Amino acid sequence: MTEVFVNMGQISSFKTQGILTTVGLGSCVGVALYDDLAKVGVMGHIFLPQSREKDAGAPPGKYADTGIPAMIDEAIRLGARKSRLKAKLAGGANLFPNLSANSTSIGMKNIKAVTGHLEEHGIAIIGKDVAGGHGRKMRFFVDTGVVTVTAIGKEAMEI
Amino acid sequence: MRDTKLDFLKELANIGTGHATTALSQMLSGRLFQLVVPDAQMLPFDKAADYVGGSEQVIVGIFVVVSGDVRGHMAFLLPLDSALVLVRLLTGDDSGEVHELARSALQELGNIMITSYLNALAKMTDLLMAPSVPGVAVDMAGAVWQSVLAGAEVANEVTVIRTEFFADGESIEGHILFLPDDDDFGKIAHSLGLEEM
Amino acid sequence: MAKTVLITDDTAFMRMTLRNVIEKNGYSVVGEAGDGEEAIALYKELTPDMVTMDITMPKMDGISAIKEIMKVDPQAKIIVCSAMGQKPMVIEALSAGAKDFLVKPFDAERVVESLRKIGS
Repeated sequence: MTEVFVNMGQISSFKTQGILTTVGLGSCVGVALYDDLAKVGVMGHIFLPQSREKDAGAPPGKYADTGIPAMIDEAIRLGARKSRLKAKLAGGANLFPNLSANSTSIGMKNIKAVTGHLEEHGIAIIGKDVAGGHGRKMRFFVDTGVVTVTAIGKEAMEI
Repeated sequence: MRDTKLDFLKELANIGTGHATTALSQMLSGRLFQLVVPDAQMLPFDKAADYVGGSEQVIVGIFVVVSGDVRGHMAFLLPLDSALVLVRLLTGDDSGEVHELARSALQELGNIMITSYLNALAKMTDLLMAPSVPGVAVDMAGAVWQSVLAGAEVANEVTVIRTEFFADGESIEGHILFLPDDDDFGKIAHSLGLEEM
Repeated sequence: MAKTVLITDDTAFMRMTLRNVIEKNGYSVVGEAGDGEEAIALYKELTPDMVTMDITMPKMDGISAIKEIMKVDPQAKIIVCSAMGQKPMVIEALSAGAKDFLVKPFDAERVVESLRKIGS
């Protein structure tokens, strides 16, 4: 089965089968969208919550506000129906807690933004492993819809 | 124009890292460290993730926010086994684990190296570059580096100056990275009498 | 009776290192503070003969702590031990009342020299 790595700001997809993998989830949030009837899976790797003027040419998947709609469009393009889409999330950690002692960490802001945008689009989050202080790797098996999350020193878990 | 800027940044890095490794050497009873000529790049965002390589390799990352006349971020990254060698040399602990004291030793080492680097640049330019209390993470390289980039709120391009250092016969290696805010780069150039970069 | 010292640094490793140097040279470490706030509180409580003070710390930095301690005791003997050796910082620390400024990494002799000089 083909495995594709989804880097920061990228969006990738498979229909029927394939593995979508993202490593390097620190404060970033990995989002897996799935339509289990059409077997369409889309993965995004969100870097920051809100798109910025000074980064006008950025790929949509870089920011939560442009990324979620872009992921939904991609899913529909492959034959998914928006009403059947479900989401799973991983990441949004704070690896350097003492640097944001007086404010909300970027990881938390990302989680909030992604959750908010999914809610706006009526997409339920049916699994997640977010926040905390450690990095994560996320793998999305499109044939079954299974999503696993790994962190150092921990067993891979299904979310 | 770009090349001139990058050459200039490499020069700064030479000076900064020279001081940082002198500091490191002093902390480790005079062990000699070698530097690989710095690499200065203006990385497009989509290439940035791969800059530290080996995404799943466990590393120790020390991260600092720089404020004052020149703003930016600095990171000191080293593979876990190098970090453990340094911990052993600094504290005598050879348990192979990064628990409280080891973490503290690494934080202090990173703090001293990064601050020595900034002190050298500050002396040269007469600009204040004050480091924050450092953050320390022991985690997968991809996640650590991604968190550094997000902390620096990089846009479509990030200026990174990286120097590799290593100690002969001790298997200690690491990278010192300096990410100055684009807006403040001009200040550095100007203070050294260099215009228009 | 040995002169007493209060150590202030946000890393346990540096506090341990300083403690070793200071105790080996005939002084007594009466307390350890992890930030500026703690330093002020411990100074009032323990009235040490001397204080070593880091600059970059969470909650309250060293310069602010020096100013507060000097208000409590204008005769306080504070030695700055910090990696941050840039001129504006050194000037600020000395103006605030510090008696000496040691830049990390420092060797043991330098620390002892300062304690002897300032302590007398």
